[in-house]
Order: sequence, then C-alpha cells, then structure tokens
Amino acid sequence: MSGRERLRHAAVPFAVSLLAVFLACLVGGLFLELRGKDALHAYQVLIERGLGNPGQRTETLKQMAPLLIISGGLAIALRAGVWNIGIDGQFFVGALLCGIVVPELAGDVPRAIVILIGAIAGLVGGLLWAVVPGILRVRWGLNEIITTLMMNYVALNVTSWLVKGPVRDPERVAPETKQIPLSDRLPDIPGTSVHIGLLAGLLVVVLVGVLFRSTVLGYMFTALGRNRRAAIHAGLPVGRLTLLALLLSGAFAGLAGANDVMGVQGRFSGNWHPEYGFTAFALVYLARLNPFAIIPFAFFFSFLMVGGQSMPRRADVPTYYIGMLEGLMLIFFAATVALERLWSRATRRAPEDAPLAIGAASAAAPVSAESDAGDGAVSAPQNTALSAGETR
Amino acid sequence: MAAGREPLSPPTRTVDVMRWQFGQTRSQAAERGEGAYPLPADAAHPSSVAASGAPIVEMRGITKRFGPVVANNHVDLTLREGEIHAVLGENGAGKTTLMNILSGMYQPDAGTILIRGRETKIATPADALRQGIGTVYQHFTLVPNLTVIENVALGAEPGFLLDLAAAERRLAQLLTDFELNASPHTEIRHLSLGQRQRVEIIKVLSRGSRVLLLDEPTSVLTPVEVEGLFAILRRLRANGVAVVLITHKLEEVLDVSDRVTILRQGRKIGEIGPEVISSGDRAAIRQRIVEMMFGGAPAEAPSASARASGAANGSTLLALQDVTALGDRGEVAVRGLSLELRAGEVFGIAGVDGNGQKELGEVIAGQRHVTRGRVILDGQDITNKGVAACSRLGIGYVTDDRLGEGCVPGMSVAENTVLKMVTRSPFSKGFWLNRGAIEAEARRLIGQFDVKTPSTATPITALSGGNIQKLLLARELAMNPRLLVCNKPTNGLDLKTAQFVLRTLREQADAGKAVLLISSELDELMQVSDRIGVIYNGQIVGIFERAAADLEAIGHLMLGGRERERGVA
Repeated sequence: MSGRERLRHAAVPFAVSLLAVFLACLVGGLFLELRGKDALHAYQVLIERGLGNPGQRTETLKQMAPLLIISGGLAIALRAGVWNIGIDGQFFVGALLCGIVVPELAGDVPRAIVILIGAIAGLVGGLLWAVVPGILRVRWGLNEIITTLMMNYVALNVTSWLVKGPVRDPERVAPETKQIPLSDRLPDIPGTSVHIGLLAGLLVVVLVGVLFRSTVLGYMFTALGRNRRAAIHAGLPVGRLTLLALLLSGAFAGLAGANDVMGVQGRFSGNWHPEYGFTAFALVYLARLNPFAIIPFAFFFSFLMVGGQSMPRRADVPTYYIGMLEGLMLIFFAATVALERLWSRATRRAPEDAPLAIGAASAAAPVSAESDAGDGAVSAPQNTALSAGETR
Repeated sequence: MAAGREPLSPPTRTVDVMRWQFGQTRSQAAERGEGAYPLPADAAHPSSVAASGAPIVEMRGITKRFGPVVANNHVDLTLREGEIHAVLGENGAGKTTLMNILSGMYQPDAGTILIRGRETKIATPADALRQGIGTVYQHFTLVPNLTVIENVALGAEPGFLLDLAAAERRLAQLLTDFELNASPHTEIRHLSLGQRQRVEIIKVLSRGSRVLLLDEPTSVLTPVEVEGLFAILRRLRANGVAVVLITHKLEEVLDVSDRVTILRQGRKIGEIGPEVISSGDRAAIRQRIVEMMFGGAPAEAPSASARASGAANGSTLLALQDVTALGDRGEVAVRGLSLELRAGEVFGIAGVDGNGQKELGEVIAGQRHVTRGRVILDGQDITNKGVAACSRLGIGYVTDDRLGEGCVPGMSVAENTVLKMVTRSPFSKGFWLNRGAIEAEARRLIGQFDVKTPSTATPITALSGGNIQKLLLARELAMNPRLLVCNKPTNGLDLKTAQFVLRTLREQADAGKAVLLISSELDELMQVSDRIGVIYNGQIVGIFERAAADLEAIGHLMLGGRERERGVA
C-alpha cells in the first residue's frame, strides 16, 4: 500500500465518525430549538464550561481517565466479538473492593504500595464480576449480552447493600466506606493538578494498541471477532479467548472504578452512580475499535460530560441532554458507516475494516443511552440487545 | 373428485380448508364403510388410480439465468393432482431453481406458468401459498420456542387477536391425521426433525395448499421417519394433492413416486410416467434414470499426471472405525463409517451433497465431535482431539466454505496466510507476532502458488475465489501435512485453476502423503484418485479402484442404489 492509500485508510473512518458527531450535535440543537431553548447559547455554555478555563480543562482531563481505561478493555472485548454490556457492574465491584481495601492500608504502608494494591483490588473486583457471565457463555453458550447486563443490576444492589451495612464506615451515617486520607490518594502529574489516573488510562490504551498490533493474542482476538467459524476451523482456542476477552474488559472496568475511588471520590459511596458503560460503547464504536483513536474521542466525551454538568444552570438544558447526544452520535455513526460501505462498494474498493455487525451494535446501544435521558419514547433496551446478539 | 374442480385459491377460514381438503374423502370413506377416519389407508388407493388426475400446474419453457449460468433452460414440468412427482438431478442440475420459481422465490426469465389452465404470475412465496402452492424447505421455518399450534396458526389466523383455542379445534383433526405423536402444546424445539417436518407439512396444508413442494425431505430423516413421511405423502396423493419431491435419492424416490422428471445441467432430460413406473421393472427403470442423470459423461482417460501408482502398497495412515457424528442440525450425518487411507494415495469421496461428506472431512480434521467410533492416525488414537491437535499431528483440511470458514474477512492476505500456524515458529515468538516472518511467508506462498493479489496487505476479500482457494491450499501445504483433506477444492474455479489444484493434490500423494478428496464432480475424482469411495447417507457404500471404476455404477450408488445384483425387481 502506498503512503497515500494508508492515509486514506486511516482518514476515511475518522472522517465518518466526525461526521456522525457533527450531525448529532446539529440534530440535538434542533431538538433544543424545538423546545424553545437557544441551542447556540447551550453549546456555548458547553464549550465554556468544558474547556473555558484551566480549572475546567483540568476537570476534563481528569474525567478522561476512567473513559480511557474502560474503553481500552471494551475494545478488547468488542474486537474479540464479545459483548460486555456489564461495564457498569464490573466498575462498581472494582470500585467497592478498592474502597474497602485501601483505607485499611492507609497510613501503614508507602503510598505507592497502597495505590498498587488499590489498583489490583479494582482489577480483581471487575474481573470477578465478569467470571460468571464468562463461564456461562463458554460452558453453556448463554448469551453474554443478557448475562452481563443482568449482572449490572446484581452489582448495583449488592454494592449498595454492602455499603449500607457490612462495609459502612461506622463513624458515619451516610452509606459510605471509610475515607482514604488525602495523602494516600492518586498523586497529581507533576506540574499539573491532574491525577496520574490519566497516565494510567493512556498506558492502558497504548498497551491495548500494542496487543493488537504485535501480539499473537491480539491477532487471535481479532480473528475470532471477525469470523468465529474461521477461528474454530483454524483450531484457535475459541472458548479460552472468549473468556479472556470478557475477563480483561471486566478487569479494566474495575480498574477504572479504583481510579475514581482513589483519584476523585476518596471513598465508595452508596449514592454515587456514574454510568460510564454506554458512553464507553459510543466512544469505542466512534473510534472504530482502534485503541489509538480512543484517545481523542475520550477527550471529546470527557469534555461533553464535564461541560454538560453546567448546562442545567447556565442554559436550562438537563444534563441528560449529553446522553441523548451520545445516542444520536451512534445512530448517525451507524448510518454513515452504512453509506460508507455502499460508497466503497460502488467504487469497487475493498470494504473498510469496520467492526462487524455495527448495525446491530448501534441499534442496541443508542436506545439504551437514550433511556437515560428519561425520554418518553423508549423501547425496552433488553429486547434490542437480545436481537442484536442474534443478528451477530 | 369434486374437490379437485374447485378453484385453486383456498377458502379464507382454516375450518373451511379442512373440509375442503379432507371432507370429501371423509364422506367417501364413510360411504365405503371405512368409518370416520378421514385419510383412508393407502391400501384402498392403489397409486395407479390416483395418478391420473388433471394438471394443476403447468410450467412451460421455463428459463432462468444467473449471470452467465443458465440454471434452467426451457424446462417443462406438469404437476397433476393425486400424483407424486419426483424431480431428480445432480447438484447444480437446476432442481432447486425450478422449485424456487414455482414457489415464487425467483421470477423466470422466460416461460409461463399455468395454474389450472390459466396463465399466472407467482410474485412471492406468500403469493404462491395463496394460489395453493406450499413449500417445505430443507431448512425448516418453524419458531423453535413456540408450540406446534402456535406455529401452525402463526400468520394463518384472521384478525388481530390470536384465538389459539379456536385454532386448536380447527387443527385437531389434522394433527391426529398426521400422527404427530406429540401434544400440540409441545414447543417445536422438543420435537424430532421428523416431527418438525410433519408440522411444516401441516402448516402449509392448513393454508389450503393443493400442491406440496418438498425440497430434499428425507435428508434429515431416519429410515423409519422416511417410511412415515412416505405414508403421509401417499395419503395426500389419495386426497388429490400434487406432491413434488426434489431429491437425488433415486432408490427412495422409486418407492413412492408416480412420475419422475430428470434434470441435467439445467435442461429437462426426460420424464418417466406412471405407466412405466408401475410396470414394476425397477432394475430397468433405475438403469434408465442413472443413464439420464450421468450418462454421456466422457469416461475420463487416465491423465498423464494420474498414473496407476503403487498406492496399494502404501501403509495405512488413517483409519476410521465405525465412526458416527452428528450434523449441524443434530441429525446423524456420519453413520458408523469405516475407512482406511493409505500413504501415497488420493482417495476420492464421491457423493451428492448432504450425504455426510462434509461432516466426514470435519471429523478427520478434528473439527467435529465424534459420538461413536474411533479415528486412528498412524496407530495413534486421535478421536475428538480437536483441530489444533490434529493439525499438529499432520492433518490438513481445506474447507469448502472459503469465505465463511476458510478465512477472516477484513484481515489481510498475509494475516490470513498464517491463520492456522500463527502460534508456531517463526511466525511468533512466545507472546509476540513476527510480522516480518509472516510477510515473508505470505510472499513466498503467493509466488509459489501464483496467487494474484496486489499486495500481501490487501484484504483477503478483495481476491477472487480461485485465488483465495490457492491461498488456502498453500496455507495447508506450508504446514507440510501427512494427510490432506480437501472438500470441493475446485468448486467455482476456472478450468485452469481447477487443474492446478488437482495436479497439486496428485503431487502430494505421489510424494507419499495421503489425500482425501471430497467432491461431487465424478470427472475430477476419476482424474486424480487412486480409489473412489461412494458416500451415501453417512456411509461408504462402495469403494472402487480407479482402474475398475465405472461412472454409472458410482452414480447409481451415489443415488442410494444398492449393489446392482441385489436390486429388487
């Protein structure tokens, strides 16, 4: 391939994703106008509050960390053709485990060790939460979309019960674990006020990139995800690969939980419910499962999350609006990918290496993302997820 | 029959259909004092009586092209009421195309279809059903987790709300008649394949079909179930239904059909009517049909590359002992099969598609679970060892499904080249891929096998079928297998590439390896094989030394014939 062709190969998918983002913002703006709001003002607020001053920029960079870590893991799963919808559950369990373990150690051991153990606790928690769906899938062929989704609810309720009772900080009334002393939280990157979680996130994404570029395991994941039958035919260890992909993405989700507990929250709290799962899906698909493309999109989504928090006060637009934008992005993404395929077929080009069954994926995720927006016209996400699994 | 003279379009309500369909017979039966049983036993209706009905459907001069391929070339076919009509032909003879035209799936490029003498266009499968033509496909169209009643009523009951109780009352008799031996409230997934097929038949009949098309109906059935199916078909015949059997199983067909149409290469070669079939000289009829299906094929002179090798002296490399394996649909695909392959020979497996040859190949490659029996490679038991182990022990397998199974679309030519050996040196060192070695290997094989590709980084899907095939073959040979299994390696290839592939297989055998060549093309089997085994219904029914092989005898066995001497008169 010539250099130019290579550029085209990289540029076209990126342009398609950007187009989807642009169209989503456009249509989202129309919604706002229809509701009698000033869309331009709303976007202005979004940009100002997301990037306008150094403090906001720091927040945006901090918010990137969990997105990067989760997306790196999710990219592994999706590349291997495994649908881990259980990101949120794995995140909670990792976060709680970290929130239980770290305060116990705090003060007695050096900070580096505390952080390392906290990270391991997060990884283990997320991984454990992926074990059951993984085994159900590999041993009995149960659809992981359903099982991981259901495990989210189990995780939500189990963690909430634990934090109200057995692991609650006895000194406090609120359902919270013990606080991690400031001296044992994640340190800032020297010269900034962004904690090192961002570096961890970048490291995860780079490692995943290396995994797919240069390792046998990454190659086998990709082969499995693109053609399961060929993987079976070639004698690849399909069952073990499927399990491993699910466990890895679960572990990274748990690590992201540990990151938030040690870096931002300082404790696991029963009324803390970040829902990164569907954001991560949108992100990873827009990045077209390419680990390196995850970085700019993580920045963008992080900016949306941070800026969106100010929208209710400043522009009278609910924060749910960001969830709606994410959903729209996936819908437009699916549409533009379909157009791109038609176009490349028309010009007799080989198909782009778009993820398989993208149509099914984006059919499932946006509906669910929109259900966050509390909008009236929402169909059951479980059913959509079911059909997505079957069309795969 | 009064029922037969009614317009073919069925009445709207199912309850009427039942009367329309069987009521007449019921009253006739009552008159004859046979009690209330609606479907009279076949004995009361000798086939010769029923097989003289008026034409229901006439297809005239049907032509259908797919690109350059003429799938049907001016084919005529007449279906009469009360007649079981078999359409026979090799793979690719045009049977399925013809039936797809009749069932509204395809539109013919030329020719007309007359239903009860009136020229009719069959636009869609639903249209065909409305006009009384029902099809039971090889792959059933039932919803596995709905019950029998729900499946039959699905889409057939009028109105918005489904009155299952009413549907059950209407269908009760039909279900009894067909001896389903299962509650109508059983979910389909709990039924055997034979029972599911009956539900399919009930489903189309309940919509008022007077013409019943069955595509390879016996391929998933056990012998007992086949008998049961035929009993049903005979009863339908007695009720004036026109039954069409699309099949390649000659022996079975002769048991039940009144009329046989033979297709070859898209053309209608001949038709044998009831007057001949009922004459009783089975051996002669069979002989004639086999000639029509295969005859005239040039008896291939042994080509230069295929010499009478000393294969007979080679030691046994692979032995299958009484191997049984299930197909993808859970049917018994390989049935207690035993076989020995010797080093240095090409062993050809001749058979019509769907007789277990694909599954046999997969069993040897370790890709399909063996439920009984043993697979022994050079004295070592490799039963159910799995693909990776079999591959390491020196078994190569080239699948017939190049794109669906052979390669990974979206990966490059180079990446696909090492799909099966990526964990081996030098393509990887422990955890790490060695992209340089992968590139080099891909370039080497592309050169050696003359694979036409712009570069090694080109996506595999950009290559033509022939070039993908060469790459898949090259990939196996690069692993230097002792035994190579090839399923239809020349399928869809141009002549030159096909010859290249066959020559390569022959060379492998001459170099002391064993090659199992699965094919439905007798010509190519004759060209390169040392021995040819005929597979039918999951069993090897005959093995011929190439020198002694006789196309007609092989063709006869492929169609389910027993050895000629034992043919029943």
